[in-house]
Amino acid sequence: MMRPFDQLTLMQFTWAALSILGFSIRTNMRGWKILLLALGGGLNWAAYLIVLYYSDALLFSIFCSTLLVCVYSEIVARLVKVPVSVFVTCVIIPLVPGRTLYYAMQGYIAGDSAAASEHTYKLLLISGTIAMAIAVVSSLTNILFRLKNRF
Amino acid sequence: MAVLDIKETTRISLEIGRILLENGATTNRVELMMRKACIAFGHPDTHAYVTPTGIFISVQNGDDELSTSIRRIESRRIDLGKITRVSKLVNDMSKDICQDGVCRLNSDEFLAELGRIETEKNWPLWFQVFCGGITSGCFCLLFGGSWLEFAVAYGVGILVSLSLQLLGLLQINSFLLNLVGSALVVFFAKTLDIWVPRIKIDNIIIGGIMLLVPGLSFVNAIRDTMSGDLVSGTARAVEAIFIAVAIATGSGVMLKLWALWGH
Repeated sequence: MMRPFDQLTLMQFTWAALSILGFSIRTNMRGWKILLLALGGGLNWAAYLIVLYYSDALLFSIFCSTLLVCVYSEIVARLVKVPVSVFVTCVIIPLVPGRTLYYAMQGYIAGDSAAASEHTYKLLLISGTIAMAIAVVSSLTNILFRLKNRF
Repeated sequence: MAVLDIKETTRISLEIGRILLENGATTNRVELMMRKACIAFGHPDTHAYVTPTGIFISVQNGDDELSTSIRRIESRRIDLGKITRVSKLVNDMSKDICQDGVCRLNSDEFLAELGRIETEKNWPLWFQVFCGGITSGCFCLLFGGSWLEFAVAYGVGILVSLSLQLLGLLQINSFLLNLVGSALVVFFAKTLDIWVPRIKIDNIIIGGIMLLVPGLSFVNAIRDTMSGDLVSGTARAVEAIFIAVAIATGSGVMLKLWALWGH
């Protein structure tokens, strides 16, 4: 079992950042901005691992880390003049449940319907949690901007 | 110095909308950018309605002039770099290039600028393929793979990115592309598994699948729904679900075929 803030977390951070770097180059982003995208992706995964260690709750840690990186994207994307949705798309990739999708499929293939339905259920819950976190942050930003325009 | 008339304004903003939408921007953003461009050209009375498959725009000038145009969008791909550059051009328009409806460029120059953004060179193919390998390899490590598995996942990532680029030339739709892509992930991983001893196949396949997951449609669906664009929010959500099902089907069929073959 990993402990937060040790070497393993740092390595996981690096791998998440590197994979997001690769992802952003595949979607044709250019310039030093891709380093900020990579930082966001690494931050997302590291925050997820750290919250998971302290809370031991899967959905809660996904919710918290997605909230964190969405706030990060809303701020940084405006500073470097990149559309916010571009930023959010890249940084949430490490948490997208590709792994659960595969395990659910594997369960169905092996005829293990208990594992299959458990993973499908988990897939839906994780997707819903990420969706809610993105929704909360983007709605709050809208409200903030409306308040700023009014006063 | 040029003042753009209502026809040219419609044409340019339709072109802006087309490039943004074809490269995967949220519809809310496309509407915003088209409206911003029209305001910069001095036609503030503009209505734009965008769905994931089409653009409608109507520019009005007082009571006498009205120009309405629609455009069907057929191809859709993911190119976040182009979205960024077009957005930057529109923001420059409203801040710098155009002042009170008088622009420093005329309509042909704007269209040429947009054409330049559209045909601008991507990263070279070998580098994109190389990065596909990095992405898939690092996801394999992230989910607990060993260094040997990283190497195999790297190879799978490169092969899959290369085949996706080749399949892209056939202009097949994104569902079939993802279905074939995920089948190829499993196929390459299982093939390499024959030659490389002592590796766990799961992490490698997951690393490859992460190359295909519909992250963009997912984020766009949520952001569109939250900004009140229910039509495109629903459409994008259905797209994301279908792509996920296609990925599961592709990998499942290939796993089953491989099991039947006896490995």
